[in-house]
Amino acid sequence: MTRARLSSQPLRHLQDRIATALITAGGIGVLLAVLGIGVFLLWEAAPLLLDEELGSLSMLTPLAWGTLKAALMALLFALPLALGAAAYSAFFMSPRLRSRIKPTLEMMEAIPGVVVGFIAGMVLAPWVERHLASTLVVIVWLPLSAGLAGMLWHLASRHWQRRLPLSWAALWLIPWLVAMGMLALWSTPLVEQALWGGDLRRYLYDAFGLDYMTRNALIVGLAMGFAVIPSVYSLAEDALNEVPRPLMEGAQALGASRWQAVIKVALAAAGPGLFSAVMIGAGRAVGETMIVLMASSNTALLSASPFEGMRTMAAAIAIELPEATVGGVTYRMLVLAALVLFLFTFFVNTLAEVVRQRLRRRYQRMGGGA
Amino acid sequence: MTWLKNALQQGVWPWLCAGSVALSLLMLGALLALLLTRGLGHFWPAALTEVTLNSGDVVAGEAVRDMPLPDQSGSERLYFTGNRDLDDARWRWVATDAIARQAQPENLLRLERRTWGDFIGYLEAVEVNGERFTGDDAWQQVQQALSLPTAQRARYQLTLRTPQGQTLRQSLATVISAEAPNAMHLGEKLGAWGSDVWQFLSQGPRAANTGGGVWPAIFGTMLMVIVMSVIVTPFGVLAAIYLNEIAHQGPLTRLVRVGVRNLAGVPSIVYGVFGLGVFVYGIGGSLDEWFFADALPSPTFGTGGLLWASLTLALLTLPVVIVATEEGLARIPDAQREGAVALGATRLEMLTRVVLPMATPAMLTGVILAVARAAGEVAPLMLVGVAKLAPQMPLDGEFPYLHLERKFMHLGYHLFDTAFHGEDVQAAIPLVYATALLLVLIVLVLNLTAILLRHHLRRQRGSEC
Amino acid sequence: MLAPRHVDHATQAPVTHFPADQRCLTIDRFSLAYAGKPALQQLTLQVPRHRVTAFIGPSGCGKSTLLRAINRLHDLNESVSHSGDITLEGQNIHAADMKLTELRRRVGMVFQTPNPFPMSIYENVAFGLRLQKRLAKRQRDDIIEWALTSAALWDEVKDRLHHSAWQLSGGQQQRLVIARTLAVQPDVLLLDEPASALDPISTLKIEELIRNLKSQLTLVLVTHNMQQAARVSDYTAFLQQGELVEYGPTDHVFTNPRLQRTENYITGRMA
Repeated sequence: MTRARLSSQPLRHLQDRIATALITAGGIGVLLAVLGIGVFLLWEAAPLLLDEELGSLSMLTPLAWGTLKAALMALLFALPLALGAAAYSAFFMSPRLRSRIKPTLEMMEAIPGVVVGFIAGMVLAPWVERHLASTLVVIVWLPLSAGLAGMLWHLASRHWQRRLPLSWAALWLIPWLVAMGMLALWSTPLVEQALWGGDLRRYLYDAFGLDYMTRNALIVGLAMGFAVIPSVYSLAEDALNEVPRPLMEGAQALGASRWQAVIKVALAAAGPGLFSAVMIGAGRAVGETMIVLMASSNTALLSASPFEGMRTMAAAIAIELPEATVGGVTYRMLVLAALVLFLFTFFVNTLAEVVRQRLRRRYQRMGGGA
Repeated sequence: MTWLKNALQQGVWPWLCAGSVALSLLMLGALLALLLTRGLGHFWPAALTEVTLNSGDVVAGEAVRDMPLPDQSGSERLYFTGNRDLDDARWRWVATDAIARQAQPENLLRLERRTWGDFIGYLEAVEVNGERFTGDDAWQQVQQALSLPTAQRARYQLTLRTPQGQTLRQSLATVISAEAPNAMHLGEKLGAWGSDVWQFLSQGPRAANTGGGVWPAIFGTMLMVIVMSVIVTPFGVLAAIYLNEIAHQGPLTRLVRVGVRNLAGVPSIVYGVFGLGVFVYGIGGSLDEWFFADALPSPTFGTGGLLWASLTLALLTLPVVIVATEEGLARIPDAQREGAVALGATRLEMLTRVVLPMATPAMLTGVILAVARAAGEVAPLMLVGVAKLAPQMPLDGEFPYLHLERKFMHLGYHLFDTAFHGEDVQAAIPLVYATALLLVLIVLVLNLTAILLRHHLRRQRGSEC
Repeated sequence: MLAPRHVDHATQAPVTHFPADQRCLTIDRFSLAYAGKPALQQLTLQVPRHRVTAFIGPSGCGKSTLLRAINRLHDLNESVSHSGDITLEGQNIHAADMKLTELRRRVGMVFQTPNPFPMSIYENVAFGLRLQKRLAKRQRDDIIEWALTSAALWDEVKDRLHHSAWQLSGGQQQRLVIARTLAVQPDVLLLDEPASALDPISTLKIEELIRNLKSQLTLVLVTHNMQQAARVSDYTAFLQQGELVEYGPTDHVFTNPRLQRTENYITGRMA
């Protein structure tokens, strides 16, 4: 075994240098390509902004309005559910259940938008059209019934309290909610008779002049809310779960109830994290295309009514761009819409990321956290 | 009311929060259950009912659903009656009060035909080579003949009778399948269900998407996803290695990292616009001018196609692969890198022999997640190359076998198109449910694989340190 | 036995000198800084061939930094700057014609926590060999057996050479890492607290191994453990705040330290 045989070969170093150069070139190339998206959109939309054709920008107004309306409806539905679910699973749920529920809810995110849109447009929309009153009653009654379950629980005997603990409530509330939903459907005719003179849609038209479209903002809100829940939930849960435990225990040691500690301490500490979760959700709601395409009427209206449709920027791009002539006004306008979407989501995501990193550093300074 | 105050103080709020988890689970479960029952139930051979109305009219078909009558009591029932060639409609609403008699005769047949959709009625006689069979013999002849190749079936002439008494002569060559669901027992129904499911997975759409299957869409989706993975994997991994192993870890790298992460949140339609503008019109248009000038003005690469769709989705899923790979690389302890270097390995040797093998599961996770995202994505494809009905498969026996410029069918777009732009949406809906179920299953299975892989990876790493 | 010559300088740390033909490593006025913060200052010391030299000192004194500098592991980190020379067998390790990979082959390094690669035991030992010239399988097998035997591991693993190295115990893993290093036949073996993550029995085995290995190569050991340094090393260098305080034969340093600072540290009056 002589040393000479084990000497190094120049070829290896050459290979190493070439590979490093290749990886560097490839990596930088990929990053540039990604950057190219923004540059391209800006380049194509710029003539519109520079030309005197600025008047055509007014064509964007109903689209922008529709986008905002759809996103707001979705957030209105998704935020209470997602944040409530996050608070529950971070502070009250049994760890064993949590390790199963969290991935399950995160799987919701994987369900393709086209499937959600199909269910919303072809199943939910006709049903809601026929049962508008029932829908509203269910939407109001279900949260109340969850609260009712809580009150009944406090009244129940020790025995039942132990058999149906709060830490597993997410599971055993499901049959309760189903039963309560049934109850709501059954009682709807009574409610409709008492409150709205027997026909809600006629009542809405007479009292507020509201028209009803089969595919409307309410449907879009429900469907897109469903799609937004998982991303908001996942990020918000992470933020709440990282709140240093000593902080919570400190508050409880001072006599606060668990819920008071959540509200006063955890929400304040994780506030930025929740904010970034909401931002990410907003970004998703603004850019979602298929759900809006399938669940809204796609008519460019400037109406605030939740029972009328809208056309969003994303949907307009999907419908009109393939037919638009390259370089024409419509083409440039749609590219401008894409640029707006790009800038908005990029800005919102960056903001969320910065806020989240700052929060993480704060937790680390507090000496706790994960 | 003290108990109410008490209850509020002790906290109804946690229960509301628990309720939101329960409600979310409920919605998810309801969605999946709906897809499962409707998607799989469609293939079950449904009983055919012959209804005699008070007016003396006869309706025969499959009862689809009941609905309350608008503005009055009672309900009406929707029947699928088929026979569009004879009475110009496939559906019939019947008020339940108007029904005088119902029966489920065992000899009531349902034939699936190449044109005009299904026939529902009775078999009078079969003529073959001058011989004439009637009754049970005729049915046996038909069942035997259906296993023959189409060309030989043309000898068989069927005489059919509708429930209303019209007769119709039809060649067996135009019939795809025949069943008498009322006479079937459970085993036969299961068999028929299985073969229908298989037909759905393995055949092309027929009769304006109301019959047949989705094989070209499955194939198109798979091919697009494969071409996309071939593009995205090397570039994503390369970029991740560059960011994590080679780039100077300064503020610029951090900025780039945040940027890449945020691109995952940019709406997919924006990538579609980019793909259309740059790949299709820009690069595709130039390619046409240079190489396919004789075919102009009809575009070759200057229109949406498999290649552009794959490239667009590769760009869309690039952040997913980069982030997952980087996570995997960051998890590898520096001791491993130093160990390799201390033995005299160059950086390339350290990367290829120690670091990359350890990061493989993470890369795989990233690619699977990317594939799952791409399989479910529809919006950008509408701009860069999906087709309602592709005349030619993008892969065939003709040189160069893989036709990257051709348009292709995609499951998600097929679903959208059938449900919203179909000719007879009512008749196509059951197949849309089946398509939706298939799509959700594909995506969920891919995601589950990625989750399990990542879980396995973390546990393995955990036990080592 | 070597004939060390003690030189006393009132201003300089007491340093032991060796004749040129006995020096394996020569460190001459070597300084190193992390991002401008000095970690080693004007260090001068000679490491004799085929002996065990221990670096001791409080945490953060720079002993591990010095060890890593000998292997030029700091080249992975861009914020490190250095001055002065380190010479290995008469060759400056920072010289332009000194290939980094060749240096690292000649200077083996064993880290605090065992870091076997996620491969079989055989492949772990073969790793360094495969980087070099192609060997016939027979030859490679011989070297691997020899390396594992030298690391006192052969008998324990000869029946499961193709099992994963991660299934071995911590002590076995550390000996595997030593075998992996021995397989490429280095001149020097650097050990950075090789036993600090191990149980007492594994520690004793490693110490015995270190004593046995010095017939084959030069060993440099960094340790926190005074007894360990006393048990296995021939020479001991005491470092504090990046400076060499005292260097000499181990029994001298431990029984009759020259400086009060050294005595304080060794007797534990200063932790």
